[in-house]
Amino acid sequence: MAEVILKNIKKVYPFVSGEDKKKSKKKKADQPEKKKVNLQITDEGVVAVQEFSLDIKDKEFIVLVGPSGCGKSTTLRMVAGLEEISGGELIIDGKVMNDVAPKDRDIAMVFQNYALYPHMTVYDNMAFSLKLRHTPKDEIDRKVREAAEILDITQYLERKPKALSGGQRQRVAIGRAIVRAPKVMLMDEPLSNLDAKLRNEMRAEIIKLRQRIDTTFMYVTHDQTEAMTLGDRIVIMKDGYIQQIGTPQEVFNHPANLFVAGFIGMPVMNFFDAELEEKNGKYFVKLHDYEVELSADKEERLRKNNVKSQKITLGVRPDHTDVAEKGGVEGKVEVSEMMGSSVHLHVNADGKDVIIIVPTQDLKENFNIGQAVRFCFNGNVAHVFSKETDKNLEY
Amino acid sequence: MKQKMPKKKGEFAKLPTGDKALLTIGYILLGLFVVAIILPMVYIILASFIDPITLQNSGLTFDFSKWTTTAYERVLENAQIWVGFKNAIIYSVLFTIISVVVTLLAAYPMSRADFKGKGFFNTIFVITMFFGGGLIPTYLLINNLGMLDTIWAILIPGAFSVWNMIIARTYYMGIPRDLQEAAGIDGASEMVYFFKILLPVCTPIIATISMWQFVGMWNSYFDAMIYLNSASKQPLQLVLRSILIQNQPDPGMVSDMQSTAQRAQMAELLKYATIIISSLPLLIMYPFFQKYFDNGIMAGAVKG
Repeated sequence: MAEVILKNIKKVYPFVSGEDKKKSKKKKADQPEKKKVNLQITDEGVVAVQEFSLDIKDKEFIVLVGPSGCGKSTTLRMVAGLEEISGGELIIDGKVMNDVAPKDRDIAMVFQNYALYPHMTVYDNMAFSLKLRHTPKDEIDRKVREAAEILDITQYLERKPKALSGGQRQRVAIGRAIVRAPKVMLMDEPLSNLDAKLRNEMRAEIIKLRQRIDTTFMYVTHDQTEAMTLGDRIVIMKDGYIQQIGTPQEVFNHPANLFVAGFIGMPVMNFFDAELEEKNGKYFVKLHDYEVELSADKEERLRKNNVKSQKITLGVRPDHTDVAEKGGVEGKVEVSEMMGSSVHLHVNADGKDVIIIVPTQDLKENFNIGQAVRFCFNGNVAHVFSKETDKNLEY
Repeated sequence: MKQKMPKKKGEFAKLPTGDKALLTIGYILLGLFVVAIILPMVYIILASFIDPITLQNSGLTFDFSKWTTTAYERVLENAQIWVGFKNAIIYSVLFTIISVVVTLLAAYPMSRADFKGKGFFNTIFVITMFFGGGLIPTYLLINNLGMLDTIWAILIPGAFSVWNMIIARTYYMGIPRDLQEAAGIDGASEMVYFFKILLPVCTPIIATISMWQFVGMWNSYFDAMIYLNSASKQPLQLVLRSILIQNQPDPGMVSDMQSTAQRAQMAELLKYATIIISSLPLLIMYPFFQKYFDNGIMAGAVKG
C-alpha cells in the first residue's frame, strides 16, 4: 500500500564494447532516422525507456501495455530494482528508491515463467521470504496458509513445483508474492504462459485477489483484454515512450493517437484517408462523397484546438460501423466470419479492409462473398487523426 | 525431436528401415560395450579366487576345490594395507571436499555477466590448462612451501581444477536468471542465493565433480610416491603397489627355480586381488551417487 511515482524515468543499455558502438554508429549513419526493433540507438547506448513519468496512487491497479520491445517490462524491472535506472527518479511511499536493493523496496513480483524454487515444496517457496525476514514460525505458518486459502492451493502445500500444473504453479508464484503483504505488487505478464481458458480463469482470480489484498499493483501485459479488464488506469507504451495514460474507457473512447487507436480494441479500428472540413464553426468528415457532421462535443474540442480543414486519418471502430441501406460508403464483402452473437464482415472499400460488426439479431440476410454493401457511421464515434503527427486532433 | 524407443513387440516392426538399421547397430554397439566392461571384471573377480597354478594351466574353472582365498589373506594380513585404506579414505574425502568447495566458489563469479575482470581471470585459468609447471619446479615449490611429506602436498596442488570450474560455471549459467531475481526480491543476499537456491539445484553437477575428484584421488599414487616418504602416510594404491613389487620374482635369484615360479604365480594372484580390493569401495559408492544424477531437478522452476 503505497504511492509510486516515476519521474522522467529513462533506461539506456550501454554498449558492451567500443566495437559494438562503432557498428551501431555505422548503422545509424546509414539510416539516421530509422529505429531498430522498437529501440533507439544513441551515442549513450540502446534506449529502452524514455521520459516515463507516472504517478500511481495508493492501492491503484496500473497496467502497462504495449507490443513486444516497447519497454514495459524494463520499466517494471526498474521499479523492482532488477534493472538500474539510467535517469529520473523512482519514489515509493515517499522515499527515493533508485539505488535501493530490491529486497529493501518492500515490493513483490510475479514472474512470467513462475521462477519457483524447484527443490522446495510449495509451502517452503511461499515461506522463503518470511524466513529470511526472521518472521516467527507460527506467523509464517498462518500467513502461508492464509495465502494458500485465498489462492485455493492448500492441498498442494507439501508438493514440489514439478508436481503442479501451469495454473497451479502460477498461483504459487502469486502466493509467494502476497504472503509478504508488500507495498507494491509487480506482475510481469503472469498469465501469458497459460492457455486461453486458464488465462480467463486466472484473470478473474486476480480481480478477486485485488479486492482481498488491497495493495498497489503494477501489471505488465501485451494482452489488451487483460489491460482493459484489470486496470484502473492503463499506460500504453511504444518504442520506450508512453503513448497514453487513462482509464480503460478513456483510452478506448478517446485514443490519443493512431497507435493507441489501433492497439486498443478488438477487432482493430478501421482507418480511412479522409478530409476534415470546417464550415461555419461546424466540423465534417468527408469520405469520398459521404459526409458526416461530428458530434457537438467533438466539434467543441476541435474548435478549442483551433483545428482547420485538412486531410486526416479517420478512425471508426468496427462496432461503430453500420451496414447502410443507402448512402454511406460502398464496398464489397470479402470475408464473412460468424462469431455467434455477431458477424464480422470484412469489406473491401477502396482497396482497404474495413471490418463491420453486425449483431446476429439484426441480421436480415446472409452476406455473400463479393456482395456489394454500404456502410456508415455516426459523428460521435468518428476519430480524427492528424496526417502529420498521427495525434488525435481533439486532444 | 525426441524419438520414442519402441517398447512393445510390434513397435519395432513398424519403424522405417533406416531407423531399424540404426537401432540395431546401436544395440549391437552398446552390447559390445557392456561385454567389454563386464567380461574383464568377471574374469578378475573369478581369477582372484582361483589357485594360480590351475589358472595358468587350465584357465577359469568352477571346480571349487581349486579355489582359494590365499591372495586376499596375503593382502589383508599386511598391516600396512589398513593404513593405506585409512589414508586413501582421508585423502579422497578431504581432497573431494576442498576441491568441490574451491571449484564451486570459483565458478560462481565466473558465471556472472556483471563480474568485473571475468575476462582476465578466465585467461589466467585457461593458461594453466595448456601450460603446467612441470614436475621438478612443482616439487621444488612443494618443498619450499614446507609441504613435503605432509598431507597438504597431496591435497592442495590439484585441488582446483579449471576443467571442473568450467563445467560448474556452464551449469550455473544454465540456471534461469529469474530464480536469482525472485530470490533477490524475496530478500536473499548473494550468499543466501548461492547456498540455499543455487547449490541445491546444482546437485547433479556437484555429485559429478565430487565423484570425479574422489575417484581420481583414490586411484592416484604418483603424487604420494613423489611427495610422501613416511610409510604411515602412504595411500592404498601405493601400498598395493609395494605388495605387488615385493612378490615379483627377483631376476637375480635364478638358482631357486621353484621359488621363482611360486612367486610369479603368487604375484599374478595378488594382482587380481589388489584390483578387487582397491576397486571395491568405488563400486559400492556408485549406486549411492546415482540418485544425484537427476536431470529433472529444475523441473517446475520455470515454464519450460
